Amino acid sequence: MAEELEKNEETDELEGLEEEDSQKGKFMTFQIGKEFFGISISYVNEIIAMQPIAAIPEVDDYIKGLINLRGKIIPVIDVRVRFKMEPTEYTDRTCIIVIDVKSTMIGLIVEKIAEVDTIADESIMPPPSLGRKDHERNKYVYGLARTGDMVKLLIDPERLIRQEDVEAVMEDARKDEQS
Amino acid sequence: MAEEFNTESMLDMFLYESGQLLEKLEGIILEKQDADCFDDADINEIFRIMHTIKGSSGVLMYENITKVTHKLEDVFYYLRESHPDDVPHLELVEKVLAVSDFVTGELDKLKNGDTPDGDEKQLVEDLDEFLGRLKGEIKKQGIEMPQANRHVEPTQFYITPVAGDDSHFYRISIHYRSDTQMSNLRAYSATYALKEVAEDLLYTPDDILSNEASADVIVAEGFHMLLQTKSSKDEVIALIDSSEAEEINFDELTKEEYGAALSEFGREDAAPAPAPAAASKDEAQDKKQEAPKPGDYVVKTKEAGKGKTLAKHQPKQQTIISVNVEKMDALMDLIGELVIAEAVVLQNPDLKVPGLELSNFQKASGQLSKITTELQEVIMSMRMMPLTNVFQKMRRIVFDVSRKLGKDIELEVIGENTEVDKNIIEHITDPLMHLVRNSVDHGIEENAADRTAVGKPAKGKITLEAKNEGGKVYISVKDDGKGLNKEKLYQKALEKGVIENKPMSEFTEKEIFRFITLPGFSTKEEVTEYSGRGVGMDVVVKNIQSISGRLDITSVEFEGSEMTLVIPLTLAIINGIVVQVGDSPFVIETASIKEFVRVGEDSLIYEPSGEEYIVLRGECYPFIRLNERYGLPNSVDKVEEGIVVVLEHEGSQVCVLIDKLLQEQEIVVKPIPSYVKKIKGLSGCTQLGDGSIALILDIAGLLMQDGERR
Repeated sequence: MAEELEKNEETDELEGLEEEDSQKGKFMTFQIGKEFFGISISYVNEIIAMQPIAAIPEVDDYIKGLINLRGKIIPVIDVRVRFKMEPTEYTDRTCIIVIDVKSTMIGLIVEKIAEVDTIADESIMPPPSLGRKDHERNKYVYGLARTGDMVKLLIDPERLIRQEDVEAVMEDARKDEQS
Repeated sequence: MAEEFNTESMLDMFLYESGQLLEKLEGIILEKQDADCFDDADINEIFRIMHTIKGSSGVLMYENITKVTHKLEDVFYYLRESHPDDVPHLELVEKVLAVSDFVTGELDKLKNGDTPDGDEKQLVEDLDEFLGRLKGEIKKQGIEMPQANRHVEPTQFYITPVAGDDSHFYRISIHYRSDTQMSNLRAYSATYALKEVAEDLLYTPDDILSNEASADVIVAEGFHMLLQTKSSKDEVIALIDSSEAEEINFDELTKEEYGAALSEFGREDAAPAPAPAAASKDEAQDKKQEAPKPGDYVVKTKEAGKGKTLAKHQPKQQTIISVNVEKMDALMDLIGELVIAEAVVLQNPDLKVPGLELSNFQKASGQLSKITTELQEVIMSMRMMPLTNVFQKMRRIVFDVSRKLGKDIELEVIGENTEVDKNIIEHITDPLMHLVRNSVDHGIEENAADRTAVGKPAKGKITLEAKNEGGKVYISVKDDGKGLNKEKLYQKALEKGVIENKPMSEFTEKEIFRFITLPGFSTKEEVTEYSGRGVGMDVVVKNIQSISGRLDITSVEFEGSEMTLVIPLTLAIINGIVVQVGDSPFVIETASIKEFVRVGEDSLIYEPSGEEYIVLRGECYPFIRLNERYGLPNSVDKVEEGIVVVLEHEGSQVCVLIDKLLQEQEIVVKPIPSYVKKIKGLSGCTQLGDGSIALILDIAGLLMQDGERR
């Protein structure tokens, strides 16, 4: 019995590897303003059409509110606003990319979905650390990828959603201590 | 072994199973705590429980659990076989509880991923000593007992039941093949199988379980049984496992012959059993050492058989499977979605074409609605659990504490089948435990004389009652003790500085009673092991409030007190009123709404600081405009156009301005995703019938925030 179990585990592992393999180097790309961004497809759960959002008060402006994803209530953030760009009207091309980052489900509102790109590791360059005044924008982008004649900015979703959260938690902890 | 295969699922199973068995064990013990002795059924049951735990802990190699349960099994084996008369019942109860506690403790360690390293020696020694004493006492009384062996057969003389007219008598002899391993266990399994149908059963050799040597005797001379039963010959034969048997002799006897044979067996019984007293311990050890032998499997099959008969004897026992709560929640979500999807289909605008013939569709959709509604009810009921287990724990506490304190207390339990949401059960166990302890420790008088002096029976009484009324569950702990003394409470509160210096007359009775729920308040001068540290009641109240319940206290001095927990039936569903402010729907819990009013501008009072108050029937309330508080656009600004909702939470009120009322409905509370930081005044969110999301207002949060701003 023990052997069988081991075997099962092995095949499971293999399957897992295969799945990872098929996702490796693939990026969901989307457009915000003029620029194209990419997010590793392993984070992406699904893409849904824009739907009514229930606003929540007293939160950062980029958190647009909550949507109902088949009974699951998930927050959505407007990536454009998150990147400190001027918000635009939502159109029928506006989509929500539902991502799963460390079991937190979050919807990203993007202007337009482009395509799924395969980007080899070699063609990813680190973003230039100088030459950009806007430091804010930089921190979510971990690499630049050249495909064809276009440059795509690769986003680290963990940084995208976490950064300020950590601060908020710290703040709460401080408050708790005081009280 | 542990490295070889994944023991995790085995461990889970073991924890689950043993936990259930221990609960059952406590149930039996506490039910019989006041009786003079256990009856046969109980002894058998306890024996089986110990045996099963011993078996499975042995497989998982938790030696200390195995040893302790084995010892207790020995004790009950002795009780079962020998029926000694003068068993010190209370001591026995304590011993069983001690073992139960020990095993529970070890199981807890396992649950937390620790190794079960509790020291069993003391317990084993105690049990040994106890067992020794039991046997010794019997001897002293000179009851027929050939040897101080655990197998004493007098039982078999006097349990012979009256034979009915339709009883059959058989003499069965089984001869096993000469190479049969552990033939004594095979023989035992045969007797075990027959016991199910037997009115009476005698066998020889009679010490098949305890005496390994009996195996040889059985192989050499065969195994003989005398059976009195209502079953037919064929049925009996079918019960006997004949796989290893060489020959089975089966004679039907008349009643007279049976009687004669009986005495024959009896004489054989009287022959001295081979093992001397000291040997019984060795045997037990022998047995254990032999555990890894193939024979062990035989023991296990026997166990399985036991499980089966157990189920047969107790048809009432519920069959239960444990399900991951996450799966349940997912199912509930899906069903919620299903209901919404159903509404979308049934009210689809495409159906609204004039002149469309829809009668079949209507019929079918009616059926669909029925099923979905039922589905919803079922999933809700799946989350509900009876309070039985919680109440059982309380029995235990009353038993323990009252004995330790030397108080004579009787516990009455009413409505233990009341069902409550599982989450809530988890939250009320500790508070309830505290209340019960308090009642035993503080409530009931120290001396029985104090009770009889005021005309109460010497025996104290605590009533634990649960009932379900109007969507709330009431659980009360009532004692007929000395009750609360208002004067004392007031003085104490003054001393402790928990109240401002106001004369007692300014407090109502309820307010004074509520002092005891303040932190750092205890009227008991001495701190006992169980209560009196004053950390209790405030924690109770906090815990209860966290599940939006409350604690009511009533008391009459010298007559007793009653503490009632009022808790919602379920946390997952609340009755709410959906209101609209601007473009957003909000939900307010119906229970916290006092009234809806329309007021004019003239009812408002403005403070220079910008604060607003509202005056209703001469009373002044704080006033919150939700649209301003949460910055909601497109909403009503004038008080006349909107609706003012008066909300109440724990005695304080607040008025909230909303645009309009939408509907009343039962809503499923969901948490706001943790990614969004906690917002004051909002306790969760929910989806409405059309799939849109509404936020749930948290009255306590609103009030707090309002207070902070002042």
